[in-house]
Amino acid sequence: MNGWTGNILRVNLSSKTHKKETFTEEFAQKWVGGRGFAVKTLYDELKPGIDPLGPENKFIVALGPISGIPAPNTGKAVVAAKSPLTGFYGDGNLGTRAAEHLRKAGYDMLIVEGVADRPTMLYIEDDKVEFFPAEEVWGKGTFACNEWIYAKYGKGVGVLNIGQGGENLNRCAVVRSLEGRAGGRPGIGAVMGSKKLKAIVVKGTRPIPQADPAGMKAAGSGDLKRVGQIDKETGWSIQSTTGVLPFCNEVGGLPVRNFRKTHHPLAWQVDGERCNNARVATYGCPTCTMRCGVTVRDHEGHESELDYENVALLGPNLEIFDIPQMASLNYLCDDYGLDTMSTGCNLSFYADAIDHGVVAGDFKFGDAERAKELLRMAAHREGKVGNLLAEGSLRMAREFGHGSEAYAMQVKGLEVAAYNCKFIPGQALAFGVAPIGAHHREAWIITFEIRNTTRESYGPEKAAKVIELQRIRGGLFEFIVSCRFPWIENGWPLDHYPKYFNLATGLNWGLDDMWKVGDRIYSMIKLHYLREFPQASREDDYPPRVWFDPANADTEGPIAGKHLELDKYDGLLQHYYDQRGYDRRGIPTKATLHSLGLDAEAAVAAKYAKLTD
Amino acid sequence: MKVLVKVIGPLIYKTGFSEKDFDLPAKTTVAELVVLIGIPAERPRIITRNGKAVLPDETIEDGDKIAVSPIYSGG
Repeated sequence: MNGWTGNILRVNLSSKTHKKETFTEEFAQKWVGGRGFAVKTLYDELKPGIDPLGPENKFIVALGPISGIPAPNTGKAVVAAKSPLTGFYGDGNLGTRAAEHLRKAGYDMLIVEGVADRPTMLYIEDDKVEFFPAEEVWGKGTFACNEWIYAKYGKGVGVLNIGQGGENLNRCAVVRSLEGRAGGRPGIGAVMGSKKLKAIVVKGTRPIPQADPAGMKAAGSGDLKRVGQIDKETGWSIQSTTGVLPFCNEVGGLPVRNFRKTHHPLAWQVDGERCNNARVATYGCPTCTMRCGVTVRDHEGHESELDYENVALLGPNLEIFDIPQMASLNYLCDDYGLDTMSTGCNLSFYADAIDHGVVAGDFKFGDAERAKELLRMAAHREGKVGNLLAEGSLRMAREFGHGSEAYAMQVKGLEVAAYNCKFIPGQALAFGVAPIGAHHREAWIITFEIRNTTRESYGPEKAAKVIELQRIRGGLFEFIVSCRFPWIENGWPLDHYPKYFNLATGLNWGLDDMWKVGDRIYSMIKLHYLREFPQASREDDYPPRVWFDPANADTEGPIAGKHLELDKYDGLLQHYYDQRGYDRRGIPTKATLHSLGLDAEAAVAAKYAKLTD
Repeated sequence: MKVLVKVIGPLIYKTGFSEKDFDLPAKTTVAELVVLIGIPAERPRIITRNGKAVLPDETIEDGDKIAVSPIYSGG
């Protein structure tokens, strides 16, 4: 088999054992890698209803057929598990040297089972697997953990680790790798913590099997340079994603004050121009020639790597307009191993709930010092407030009651990324139907919607655009496991990716073949959801209710008086279901599942809930 | 007529400013303004007037705020 190593490393922390397993070419071609491998494995191996933070959950690191090969932006890995935040399949991707090392060690997927009897670091070097005590760094942040690992093995190894957030089972804890790199928004870091797994260190020394190594080397290396040249021409990475903030502010799409407002006169103080002016370093992932990590210093002197999502949600969304203060919050999230987006939403929801009198507290919008303290308490689950914040905004809202769930900014339990869709119906749909919860990774159509359509419309073209982008962003890039930025931000043509795939595997696939794999993976995530929530309903695909509330409409600015309309949104949702071949609950029909080769998986789901013909 | 022009993202390194007042002749179009501020014609962009998308041949009005942004794709 070319392209894939054909091997899975299965590690059991309870018994301190491991075994190398193989998979078939049929499995490889049906699921390709990354998200595909993870979603299929977790569907087959996890029983519905298990505690995501219990010993039965499994933590997966999954790679793709071009992972570790020098080609544009292939230094990424997918981490996945049953999510402690959302209660069903959850995943994320992150830049890490572990991607290349795991592949060179001979594996396409790592499955971690059981629970260690003490804090543990897992060390993998080709066929060797060792379990080391990690008490020395248990209770310490991810930066200190990295230094501890680098002192033992040097900086060339691949590292995945967690901070205090993961250790203390904060449901928004992420997995961390390099400076500023994190993945697994739906609490995948807490799954590592529940297994007492502080870190994974990987070193691989063997060649990665490829059908045409010379062809791949020529194409990959040349394309890496070309992507870098294009970036120099466009200037995209000067501000990177932070550049989008003034655009969002201009069109009424910025989250301000727990998404209550869509723009703010002081937003310019934390925009891409100012972030770039404050830059002290630039970080990036392995095999990247358009590095996006705009790194600034906070008031304490810490380096803090910014992107738009953390700037917007830890800045304007909390009414903080000071780069060093916002950078401090971002640094603390990175060190504690907390998702910056969910943490920003949790803090803003808490301030909003206090503001509305549904809970007593001393946190106000704009109070950066108290936000830092609350963040520390959340990471350590300290006291009642720390425990509440560690649960995520949906659980907090259920605790607070009084209708506060309407302004808990989440879908299916996962907090909304930094785009305020109070009057952006298509992007609201993209958040509503994002399969793991309100992640911007799956589809982002705001420019299309504002430039190419009538913003007020809820027409089928918007649903079609969401699906088109889901197939690329949540499909192709997540199963081939490569960064989407060369394509989305600098226009690197998509047809390069089947080319890399074919050079690696010796197959002859086109983009249409890729879309089918993406659709299969999306359907599998929906089956995970149905199996865990047999009462699944289309309302689960609605965005936060506050966006529909006329009383929440802006009183001035570009979208004054505007808000989403529920009946029209429901119609847009139906367009999406019809085009996807889903039923009225948003679950793939039997015919759709059959067309995707998922009859066996459908039969399993049918034991828990009825499927529609 | 007085017009406020806002330039977004890396386009500011082409124009040399991120926000500036302009005194323009009446009936200036959006396309003419983009040429005037030095953004290459082939560069993809989205242009808004007071927060709403406009087409290149639309005429600018006194007091407008025109924003010119690259085509971002949401990270």
